[in-house]
Amino acid sequence: MSKRIADALFEAAYLSLITLFIAFSVIPVLVALVLSFDARGFMGPFPPTQFSLRWYERFLADDYYHAGLATSLIVATVATLIATLAGTLAAIALSRATFRGRAALQAALLSPLVVPNVVLGFGMLVFAARLGIVDGMTRLIMGHVLITFPYVMRTTAASLVGIRASYYEAALSLGAQPWKALVQVTLPLARTGILAGATFGFVTSFDDVGVSLFLTDAFTYTLPVAILAQMRANLDLTIAALSVIFVVATVLLIVLLDRLAGLDAIVGRGVYGR
Amino acid sequence: MLWPALVIMAPLLLGPLLALLHESLKPYVGGRIGGDDAGALTLANYAEIAAPEYVRYFLDTFRVGLISSGLALVLGFPMAHFIVRRASPPVRRLLIGGLVGTLFLSLIVRVYAISMTFGPLGPLSGFSRLLGIASNSPDGAELMVVLGLMNTTLPLVALTLIGTLQNINPRLEEAAMSLGAPRWKTFFLVTVMMCLPGILSAGITAYAFCISNLVVPMLVGRGFILFVSNLIYARFSEVANFPGGAALSIAMMVISVGLFYGLLHLVRSTWQEAGK
Amino acid sequence: MSMAVLELQNITKRFGSAAAVDDVSFEVQRGEILALLGPSGCGKTTTLRMIAGFEWPDEGRIFIGGDDMELRQPYERNVGLVFQDYALFPHMSVAQNIAFGMKNRGVKRAEIGRRVAEALEQVQLPGMESRRPSALSGGQQQRVALARALVTRPDIMLLDEPLSNLDAKLRLQLRREIRTILGTFGCTSIIVTHDQEEAMGLADRIVLMNKGRIEQIDTPHALYQTPRTLFAADFIGHANWIGGMLSRRGGEAGVVKTALGEIPVMSGDLGDGPATLCIRPERLSLLDAAARPDTALDAVVERHDLTGADLRIWSRLADGTLVQSLEKNVGRHLPEPGTAVRLGFRMADCVVLPGRRPQA
Repeated sequence: MSKRIADALFEAAYLSLITLFIAFSVIPVLVALVLSFDARGFMGPFPPTQFSLRWYERFLADDYYHAGLATSLIVATVATLIATLAGTLAAIALSRATFRGRAALQAALLSPLVVPNVVLGFGMLVFAARLGIVDGMTRLIMGHVLITFPYVMRTTAASLVGIRASYYEAALSLGAQPWKALVQVTLPLARTGILAGATFGFVTSFDDVGVSLFLTDAFTYTLPVAILAQMRANLDLTIAALSVIFVVATVLLIVLLDRLAGLDAIVGRGVYGR
Repeated sequence: MLWPALVIMAPLLLGPLLALLHESLKPYVGGRIGGDDAGALTLANYAEIAAPEYVRYFLDTFRVGLISSGLALVLGFPMAHFIVRRASPPVRRLLIGGLVGTLFLSLIVRVYAISMTFGPLGPLSGFSRLLGIASNSPDGAELMVVLGLMNTTLPLVALTLIGTLQNINPRLEEAAMSLGAPRWKTFFLVTVMMCLPGILSAGITAYAFCISNLVVPMLVGRGFILFVSNLIYARFSEVANFPGGAALSIAMMVISVGLFYGLLHLVRSTWQEAGK
Repeated sequence: MSMAVLELQNITKRFGSAAAVDDVSFEVQRGEILALLGPSGCGKTTTLRMIAGFEWPDEGRIFIGGDDMELRQPYERNVGLVFQDYALFPHMSVAQNIAFGMKNRGVKRAEIGRRVAEALEQVQLPGMESRRPSALSGGQQQRVALARALVTRPDIMLLDEPLSNLDAKLRLQLRREIRTILGTFGCTSIIVTHDQEEAMGLADRIVLMNKGRIEQIDTPHALYQTPRTLFAADFIGHANWIGGMLSRRGGEAGVVKTALGEIPVMSGDLGDGPATLCIRPERLSLLDAAARPDTALDAVVERHDLTGADLRIWSRLADGTLVQSLEKNVGRHLPEPGTAVRLGFRMADCVVLPGRRPQA
């Protein structure tokens, strides 16, 4: 009987932790959603008493944000393309490699994941200055390739683990040259992983603050840097409106990713997954 | 196939590192941007970091990071367990979609939403009072930083642990229960113990993310809580002390890379030996 | 001018300091089906991978159709490979899988379509062109893999454990089908297997391997009937063992001194020294009073195992050795456990092998 009581208590604790998790993840987003429709021109107590679209209108009218968004999209797209190309090839090469120092090379290529972004950004700033690069866009792309590359390579490498070596060997034994076997067999089989990796890379780049803060110039700044500057300047609710736009964009991205690759494919099913 | 990566990444990895190393050894002259190129190289910038007022920032970073990643594990593991073992396929899909979505959602947006929710005018401003913490005190700021960091690492931890749990045979849990262990005992003695290497790895990764954070302390630390990242940024943006910032950067990089790979190695070697 | 399609000359392959394949030589004749048989780790798969070009020998040479394969990449060898896991490309249809090799070898479009249909016909999967491999059963996947390799008209087919991923019943059926399909194409083939029944049922000749070396190359019949080493006798089928010392008596005749007395044997070209007698269970029979075999041994029946058509009788000899004999289950009354019996065999039915078996 005492086992039953202990189990009931355990079940209650288990379910409350899950509820807490969901509440903690969802409530702030809902609060931002509600606040973005606040009609008041100042920070008042929650909930707002009147609603309007004024913050959305202000965002749509503000060129400051538009310029940031454009820069962010360009930087993220270019950096992701470069990182995906190099990262996918590197992941495939490393998955087959047997040379000494393979693990060390892999760790080195993944190292930007563990180094604080601020350090990477500051280092890139000093490095670019030494090279005489003062153009914001070039500096930003350099920095963003550095931080997106590991995401692409890691995700692609993980998806390659599930692809048996015999597929590649079968293609060779059927007369395909190595590059043909790669293009016709390995890459199509890894496409989910490559797509997931590229998405992670893009999001990482688009969301970055630590690296970008150092590399922007007066005319070229990314959207997060623009938001940050506004946030510290004044607590207006345009950012709440912007947050809602971000949430909508993210939901669309997830739905798209689920359609293209399947979310399960990204998380993986593991040995005993259902 | 390796060469595109090497050609692109080698300069991007090594260039900044060497540039920072060199910069950190230059003497700092107040009032100018960048170190004094003419001066003799010096270790003075590193000696400065060792001063007690700087060590405090390092300690704050590591302490708050530890609390946040620990709490993220406590919340993240049951969620991962629920998704892998109990959720029906549509619920599983919804929850995983939510986790990936939270992971993808802009960090600034998430921190902003947290500050709006738990801040003085927010609907959950009572949360800090519940814990007996005044919201405008240093402890209140620390609470906000912890909440912000947790929110950033939770989806990461949960998604990593889903991977871990999927590789644990559910028959082991059934075996424990058929041998008379109640659910709670099975959960802690079989499930958690089997997942321990994965839990620790997820925790180490979350910790690495926490201690490198810039945005959370910047936005909700209110000056009471500043991480080393904030200090480095201040060196750049406020006083233009490049050599000092470079020395801090090198120190932070050595510590976080060393901590990450050191702890990971410890976890792996411990479990490999136990497996033999 | 030899008729050999494939020739291996003194092939050696080392992984680290251990030789996975040690001085292996054999030939395969046109149209022949050869089995590489042995326990896991005997070097058979490594040998196959060297023929396909995925591993390179440290010493020795490989000839296919008279051409030296040294420095030839896998895609430059005209070899058809059927993988243990089939390795059907999951992102391609059955037809695309089968067409893959022909496209790489420059076969014309129209010709490809015709040959795909023809190949599916031959493996009894007509009309399956647009299916995905994941929509096929294990046996069907196996046949598509066969068709994919055969359709390029390779000089030689290599099959790596072709039946190991199937259940027992299907295995028997597919064994027959593979034999028929390979026969239809008249294809020279090598089958790697650890299953002696599979090797005996499929192959014209068997190369028996152990620890990287060849133990014996023979027809299935000869390998069972006249094994030349203890390993060969032990690996193929069941056997009874009696250890002793061989001494020659002039000509082919000899005698093995054992704990059970002297047993006359045909010693062949074997020299004096430690030797072991191998007698297959079906050649060891329960004797009635009138029987006059070359050798008769006293024994006590210990138990019976009924396997259906046969009865396996376990008896203990005077020196404590447990032996088995096989009797047809024809309704005859058999001695109960505990009964003293005589067991006998003909000289021609026992094989003398050099060396002693380690005590089990």
